[in-house]
Amino acid sequence: MGRDILLLLQVLFPVIAGCLLFVAARRGNRRLQTRYVTIVLLLEAAFVIAVAFLDKTTVECFYITPELRLILCNDGLSKLFGVLVALVWLLVGIYSFRYLKETEKPVMFYGFYLIALGVLQGIGLAGNLVSFYLFYEWMTLMTVPFVFYNRTKESIRASRKYLFYSVAGASLVLAGIFILAGNTDGLQFAGGALKETADRTEVLLAGVLLLLGFGTKAGMFPMHGWLPTAHPVAPAPASAVLSGVITKAGVLGIIRSFYYVIGMDYLAGTYVQTLFLTLALLTVFMGSMLAYKEKVLKKRLAYSTVSQVSYVLFGLALFTPAGFAAALLHMVFHSVIKNELFLFAGTVIHQTGEERVEGLRGMGRNLPVTFWCFTLASLALVGIPPMSGFVSKWYLAKGALAASVGIFSYLGPAVLLVSALLTAGYLLSITADGFFPGKDFISPMPEAKEGHVSMLVPCVIFAAATVLLGVFSAPLYEFATKLGTGLLVR
Amino acid sequence: MIGALQFATDGFRVLYALLATFLWIITLLFSKQYFHHHKNLIRYFVFYFATFAAVLGVFFAADLMTLFLFFEIMSFTSYVWVAQEETEAALRASKTYLAVAVIGGLSMLMGLFMLDHAFGTLLISELRDSAFAFLAGEGGNFGNRQTYLYTAAALLTVGFGAKAGVFPLHIWLPKAHPAAPAPASALLSGMLTKCGIFGMLLVNCHILFADASWGRVTLILGTITMVLGAVSALFSIDIKRTLACSSVSQIGFITLGIGMLSIMEGRGIALQGTVYHMVNHTILKLVLFLAAGVIYVNTHSLNLNEVRGYGRKHPLLAAAFAFGGLGLAGIPGFNGYISKTLLHESIVEHMEHLEANGLHSEIGMFKTVEVLFLLAGGLTLAYMLKLFIAIFIEKGDGEAKGQKYSMAPLSGIAVCGSALLIPFLGLTPDVIFAKIGRTAEEFFCPAELLTGESEHIHWLSAENLKGAAISVSIGILVYVLVVRGLLMKREKERRVYVNRIPAWLDLEESVYRPVFFGFLPFVLAFFSRICDTLVDGVTGLLRSTVFAPRKRKMSIWVGTKMTHMLGTAMDAVVSVLNKTLFRNHPIVKSFVSVFAVSELEARQTFSLITGSVSFGLLLAATGLAISLIYLLF
Repeated sequence: MGRDILLLLQVLFPVIAGCLLFVAARRGNRRLQTRYVTIVLLLEAAFVIAVAFLDKTTVECFYITPELRLILCNDGLSKLFGVLVALVWLLVGIYSFRYLKETEKPVMFYGFYLIALGVLQGIGLAGNLVSFYLFYEWMTLMTVPFVFYNRTKESIRASRKYLFYSVAGASLVLAGIFILAGNTDGLQFAGGALKETADRTEVLLAGVLLLLGFGTKAGMFPMHGWLPTAHPVAPAPASAVLSGVITKAGVLGIIRSFYYVIGMDYLAGTYVQTLFLTLALLTVFMGSMLAYKEKVLKKRLAYSTVSQVSYVLFGLALFTPAGFAAALLHMVFHSVIKNELFLFAGTVIHQTGEERVEGLRGMGRNLPVTFWCFTLASLALVGIPPMSGFVSKWYLAKGALAASVGIFSYLGPAVLLVSALLTAGYLLSITADGFFPGKDFISPMPEAKEGHVSMLVPCVIFAAATVLLGVFSAPLYEFATKLGTGLLVR
Repeated sequence: MIGALQFATDGFRVLYALLATFLWIITLLFSKQYFHHHKNLIRYFVFYFATFAAVLGVFFAADLMTLFLFFEIMSFTSYVWVAQEETEAALRASKTYLAVAVIGGLSMLMGLFMLDHAFGTLLISELRDSAFAFLAGEGGNFGNRQTYLYTAAALLTVGFGAKAGVFPLHIWLPKAHPAAPAPASALLSGMLTKCGIFGMLLVNCHILFADASWGRVTLILGTITMVLGAVSALFSIDIKRTLACSSVSQIGFITLGIGMLSIMEGRGIALQGTVYHMVNHTILKLVLFLAAGVIYVNTHSLNLNEVRGYGRKHPLLAAAFAFGGLGLAGIPGFNGYISKTLLHESIVEHMEHLEANGLHSEIGMFKTVEVLFLLAGGLTLAYMLKLFIAIFIEKGDGEAKGQKYSMAPLSGIAVCGSALLIPFLGLTPDVIFAKIGRTAEEFFCPAELLTGESEHIHWLSAENLKGAAISVSIGILVYVLVVRGLLMKREKERRVYVNRIPAWLDLEESVYRPVFFGFLPFVLAFFSRICDTLVDGVTGLLRSTVFAPRKRKMSIWVGTKMTHMLGTAMDAVVSVLNKTLFRNHPIVKSFVSVFAVSELEARQTFSLITGSVSFGLLLAATGLAISLIYLLF
């Protein structure tokens, strides 16, 4: 019973804390609120890390019908996801205090921020597809307020678009789950939970539906449209977590349904795999190309997310343990890198009010630390050794070459590299102009200076992580490989 | 498994690491004078030493992965050198440099992916055996193995060749060198290009060992680079640009040597020629770029017409520059002669070999290469003569510029000390070069793979001197006819140097930038944009057609059918009238509503009337009146 409570607490603690914040919002000054949020985030992070040391346990919370049970289970993947989310949430939370200081109602943001943290822990811990779906829908609803936080006309339009895409995606997922439910025993997560009598056509159809549905959250073509609309209007910390974490929930959905329910060997070689590979590669290229052409900084980063999350999806589409491990690696690395990039955008917007990349010219002299952090993260995203992005791309390409996916074995790495080239084009040009504006350049904003220390520290930590995770990638890679090979054996 | 950095120290690696250290020390000595009044020095020196570490990493790397890692670091840290001055030209050049470096790096990475997949190892010492085993059919299913290996090698060569400056990826050199500070140019040209050459040697000697068709490709690329660089150096009127183009040309010589190394039977001679020329070029360009730096520090210009005559009173500088020029041109007694003779000899020997084996059809190609080789040698002399005569012999504007002593003591030691190496190496070919040759052979072609016996070369034999003599005569001829004749024009009673190369002949400006920054992004972004707006577009289309929300008509249906028709008709009439009669004072009311309102009013009034008592009385009275009239009539 004790352990069961722990898992449940991991989910419920932030949710309750968030609800309490709403209740108490009328009283209390902002300083108190900030302290409260910090303490909750810290406690949750410490708690999640501590719980991650527990052995695998399964908790059955309640059931709607005997078939629809709500189950929590902390397997390796959920531990990885939970720790990642909790740490990112903590750092971005600390960053956001200063960023949202001048805005109207930060307490609304923090309430949903805390609740979303709990829901995301639920997504990680979900023990079957039904519980996963439950948390998944709640995640959408709890994150919509992030998008319309500024309450401008565009942000409300953007939040409607976000909601439209998410609900459309989720209904596809639901359709997929319906079809799959008849062919499995209770939609449990194991390395393939299909019945012996499963109908192949039905399962593959469910695969397509799930792919498109979860692909919506992960920003995969054709349902990626919400990302470039929602990111520029949301406040920077919100964009950071939307891009760095929420998209990963879609990835997690694909992993859970394809690797844990259907089974990777079942899908290898089917038309679902071909579709998956094609869509992923198309998205990788399309996202980079559009980011290269984009002039609004946050929109550029949003397109970059579209492209980079599809790197992860490409790795998953290989349906081999090596591809799976590489995808997990890139999932973690991209999360860290993209958080740093969005925090950079936030600092620049907060300190200078500049939203377009042309305006960043020469700013490297005013905000050296911020720009250095950005440069490190950029190099990592491009995939320059020994940064983290390089490691994951190396394994992705290696996995692709080793997988028997025909022409995709070579097309995949080639597209990844072309995309890396474009990534260099759209990120390194910012660094280059920032540090080398030209000899006779006169800064339009000579008084712009570094952000507050509470904004700098998270940036520095993320930037350091992009490097360190790459240099010391071996433990993570071994962990991911173990997970991957564990799924292969039925 | 990536992660572990692996290093090895054998003869050749140590040799080049030592050479790199030597270069960095010399340029550091020179930096004190050169950077006297410069800004952002901390930035420069941080990246100066970071690049040094990276270069050492490249040479000491035991596997291609480690090599790649340091190669990339080197590219990015040296980028700062090019951008250091922050002039417009420097920024543009640095972007080109970065773009070439990133494209090259990614191409190389793809090659590494393929090699790693095929061989399962990237250790340089195991590459050759793995390649043989791979071609023999070990490992999984690869389709056409030869093509696979060629593709991988080509991708690697793009990366290494881009850094070395081999055609068609040489574009960064002529832009980056003039823009960078002189010590940085010396390092870029002397050492960073050699890292690329080192990689190309690895490809040709360790992955595709003795592959003649691959060698032929290398040879052709080298020949084009050699001639192209020499011609553009001849036309240039900027000292550092000339030297940069000359670097391209000399890299061409070296690449040609690498090609011959793969083609010919007795590889030793071609390998020696290649490696000697690498070493020679490193030292020569060090001296020449530092000399150019001295001129720049004193005159603040690199334009030949502006610095003309500067060197007339600076004999020490003139001597150093002359040594550099003579070495580069391959004059006997200087180091360039040794390596160029060996390279020439390798072509000649191969032709003899073909002749002996009766392969006459192939001789034509090598004959052409030989002619071009001698021509490029001549052009080298011509452009160095152009520089030397303009700066140190002719009278001109530059004469009065600068301080009394052109070089500070430390710079003097740096320039003259390294200049003395040039004749020293040239006069003692069998002492140092022989050792270098042996270490290179150990590394690139171990003895058991060397088929031809390496005979001792008589450096001053008539046959070898003949090649030099041909080149020298071509050089003098070109100088007198082309440089003095075509490339100068009279302006205000004196002859000035002009650059006669039209701007559109610049490969970067007229091809690469339009294609890579204009055309390709446009087309690809267009298709990406279509994909991007697909769902939004379909949604929008559906919302405006099938799922359009039922809107009410703009004019609310009021009144009866009758009044509506009347009103519409009146509106039509009014609109016609508005356009014609009442143009100045248009009627702006809608008659539909006017009629509707009056109809409504009429009806209401009517119902009001019909409902009232007085109306009843009225009707009764009317009835009485009618019956009264009836009774009366």
